[in-house]
Amino acid sequence: MSVATSAAPSKLKSFVSNQQFILFLVLLGMIGIFTAFNRIFFSVSVAGNVLADWGPLVLVALAETFVIVSGGIDLSVGSVCTLSGVVGAFAIRALTEGGMAPYLSLFIGALVCIGVGCIAGVINTLLINYAKLVPFIATLVTLGAAAGLALVFTGGGPIAGGPSQAIQLSVPWLGPISTPIIIVIVICFICWAFLHKSRFGRHTYSLGSNPFATRAAGISIAKQTAKIYVLSGALAGAAGMFFYLRLGSGAPSSGLGLELYAIAAVVIGGASLSGGSGRISGTVLGALILTTVTSGLIIVGVDPNWKQVVVAILIAAAVTIQGLRRSEGKAS
Amino acid sequence: MFGLSNMKRSTAGLVAVAGATSLLLAACSSSDTATTASSTTAGGACQGKTIAFVMGAVADPFFNAMKVGAQAEATAQGATLVWQGDKEYSAATQIPVLDQVLATNPSGLVLIPTDPVALQAGFDKAVAAGIPSALVDTKVNDISKAVTFITGDNTDGGTKAADAIATAIGYQDGQKYKVVVGLTSKTATTNVARLEGFQKAIAANYPGITIADIAYSESNSAKANTNVNNWLTKYPDLSGIFAIDGTNATGAAAALQAKGLTGKVALVGYDAYPDNVKLITDGVFTALIAQDPAAEAKQAIQSICTTIGGGTVTTKEVVIPNVVLDKNTSAADLTKYTYVA
Repeated sequence: MSVATSAAPSKLKSFVSNQQFILFLVLLGMIGIFTAFNRIFFSVSVAGNVLADWGPLVLVALAETFVIVSGGIDLSVGSVCTLSGVVGAFAIRALTEGGMAPYLSLFIGALVCIGVGCIAGVINTLLINYAKLVPFIATLVTLGAAAGLALVFTGGGPIAGGPSQAIQLSVPWLGPISTPIIIVIVICFICWAFLHKSRFGRHTYSLGSNPFATRAAGISIAKQTAKIYVLSGALAGAAGMFFYLRLGSGAPSSGLGLELYAIAAVVIGGASLSGGSGRISGTVLGALILTTVTSGLIIVGVDPNWKQVVVAILIAAAVTIQGLRRSEGKAS
Repeated sequence: MFGLSNMKRSTAGLVAVAGATSLLLAACSSSDTATTASSTTAGGACQGKTIAFVMGAVADPFFNAMKVGAQAEATAQGATLVWQGDKEYSAATQIPVLDQVLATNPSGLVLIPTDPVALQAGFDKAVAAGIPSALVDTKVNDISKAVTFITGDNTDGGTKAADAIATAIGYQDGQKYKVVVGLTSKTATTNVARLEGFQKAIAANYPGITIADIAYSESNSAKANTNVNNWLTKYPDLSGIFAIDGTNATGAAAALQAKGLTGKVALVGYDAYPDNVKLITDGVFTALIAQDPAAEAKQAIQSICTTIGGGTVTTKEVVIPNVVLDKNTSAADLTKYTYVA
């Protein structure tokens, strides 16, 4: 690359090769293609469907972003989402039967969900920091335990018995946007601030790109790990509450398998699985692309199993682009 | 390999001895050895025995209601119930569970196969090991060696669902209507039979109805919810939805409520989950097709105990009829047919 270029063209070049811009183009391209096959795709109704799917996925993907940037992995996010939703459902049902006001019971239910997620995060931390398990194994353990407990607690069926306001809250009122989605968008901004504008975020990147230098700089890796995995659990818990609002019940199968799509969203968003790179905006767009594909395939009438093929292609493309950019010496 | 076949041989030997001993005991005991499927304990033939149920997705109240019935019957027979399954409704995860259960050498097996072809080998293995084996809900292709096969009348369920939807939409000849069907699995015999019953009834009696789309949710309510959300967008003139099992019904009901379309799109579900039964009175569900999973389990265990006791089960295929629950059903009946959680 020639150094003697004027400021404007190199800015344009860096803008165009920016991962987020490419993702945005991919998203627009997909919307265009699906709309070409079925005009109904370009509608507020479909946008609402896409966002309803995006809500829990992006929360779990945000969780995964922090963990992956720090050089770890959290396979338990999907199951923790399920377990939190189930425990929250029990709490909401008990509160509703006890006569509590509907929105208050839902609010407390949300706190319960997040609390369960935090506990799972603490368990992950203990397994990683004290039992010295690698994150893959530690979170695999929590994945199994959480999924199993969800089934044990529920006996297999969904737990309803909450207020009817739960599903009503999921009705979009600001175009395709519903109140829970507004909350998710706010959470996205908070996570963006955490990762990109705070010391916690800098330490997270540092841990992922060079753990030795991080320790040498006097940062407590154990403490940082704890914060990251508890945050991951809390976000997974929030996703569990989101599913509850959507289905009006806590189902023991809702979040299972979500971790794989969360990781896919993070990778498509530009993060490296070896840690040290990745951006919240990338994850947000990656998750949006995935849920657009889900709705698109149904609207267009293609076998939904093609989704997995599409996701695989997107991951491969994302990793390739990232590799190319890295070899050109550009910062991600 | 060598070790495994050794274990199999000694296992088979043990089962043979156990079987012969129990036959001897049964012959020596009182003469009321049962010979039909519907009789009660065959002189305590099942006392102290272990009966294993290997079922489909654990996350399904239908199976949980079955477990309640199975546990009650096992207790009545003095037997121990072993209840095993995977969280996913898939052959790939059920086969290892079945293998594990067979390795523990149960006295009897009740299998709910997730696929009629893939689970045949495992089922035949149980039979070959001398374990009296029954099939419940779904079946494998060759049931000749099964003690009995008990299921709800799935084809009839599909037919009844077609009738319920047609009534709800005020079907008139000459008009055109669109419906969609949400299933769990492409191969599970229950799903296949219900869909066939539905399609045949529509073709024969309601030719104006077209099935616009079919999708699979693999026992995941959130997936079913996504499917229905998008169908409601894709087909703005949709008349009805047939949710072929409980998890699809849960997902579809939530989608209708969120889109404010309750009462405008007919929803017929399957399986009387307590929370869905409540939604009948709210008008979200047009009708629910209720099976009797507890009765299916009870009958399966009785047949196995009969066989263990040396009797012969004469009814090889038992079909338990469905009940249609709708807004005209009495409160007493609604309670009676709701699955116990």
